[in-house]
Amino acid sequence: MVKSVVSMICVFFILLFFGIYENIFITKNFSELNDVFTALYEKTENESANKEDVLSTQKNWHNKKKYLHAFIPHTEIKEIDLWLSEAVTFVDEKDYKEALSKLEVLIELTEQIPKTFAISFENIL
Amino acid sequence: MVVTLIRTLIIFTTLVVVMRLMGKRQIGEMQPFEFIVTLIIADLACIPMADISIPLIYGIVSILGLFLLHQLLSLLEQSGSFFKTVISGKPSIVINKSGVDMHELKKNNMDVEDLIESMRSQGYFSLDDLDYAIFESNGKLSAFASRDAHKKSSSLPILIVDNGKENTKNLQIAKIEKSELISFLKRENHNLKTTEIMTMDGEGRVYLKCKKTPYEILFYNLKEGVKW
Repeated sequence: MVKSVVSMICVFFILLFFGIYENIFITKNFSELNDVFTALYEKTENESANKEDVLSTQKNWHNKKKYLHAFIPHTEIKEIDLWLSEAVTFVDEKDYKEALSKLEVLIELTEQIPKTFAISFENIL
Repeated sequence: MVVTLIRTLIIFTTLVVVMRLMGKRQIGEMQPFEFIVTLIIADLACIPMADISIPLIYGIVSILGLFLLHQLLSLLEQSGSFFKTVISGKPSIVINKSGVDMHELKKNNMDVEDLIESMRSQGYFSLDDLDYAIFESNGKLSAFASRDAHKKSSSLPILIVDNGKENTKNLQIAKIEKSELISFLKRENHNLKTTEIMTMDGEGRVYLKCKKTPYEILFYNLKEGVKW
């Protein structure tokens, strides 16, 4: 009886802790990514973005995605990888119009992905 | 992760309710919620293992969620008879001193043939072999045999009437016409409509249970040469 209660309490707190941690971790990381992508978007809009800017953004993303793999389905991470790689190429080629469309998708993804983990009616059903 | 946990809670609760509504026939030897845990846990473990694009933590959280629910239900079950009845159901006495309790059978979505089948697996072939038969909450049949069990019938009893309807196939085996059956019942002050159960063995020994009356043991004169 005591063993059951203790194990139940332990599991409950583990789940509660991980639930809260996951929420904070995802929100924080995607909020940071959103800021980074927005900054790059503004630079690209002003046509002042260069290859170093996008490469440093890509590096930033690579550092974060190592840990995000633990919580997010890998297909969604792959999507960001692909759009970002395209953005790198277009900025490098100074095709800012195309680069902007890719960055817009990236910004949208950083806003939408955390929403799929939120406790909401549409996610539960 | 929390979404996965909530989804697990919903599926688990739904399955418990459905399993309880389905009755004991659908359950093996486990309590309903234990059966559900067994059913889901394999899939929960399997999906994240097979699909590497799904983080492993999804499977772990769901399994831990199930464990939590299982422990919670076990504790509630142990804490009082009310919770035990709600979670696992209660035993049903399907045979008592008055005979087969059709109301209890129906409550568990069972019919006489199911009861006879369960009795056969326990080594009892005649409905009056038992003073009491109880379907436990885990779906097993517990039998309390009468003193002279196994001595009453020397051949296999067959079901002649089940809930007011004659069993045509078994009537053919016993070589009894429907009109003969009706007149037999009339002679005993009963009719087909009010007859809940009637079984007959190869020697014409009849177990008759009519609505609102205790069972009776009667004899029917079988035609010459009729045996099974």
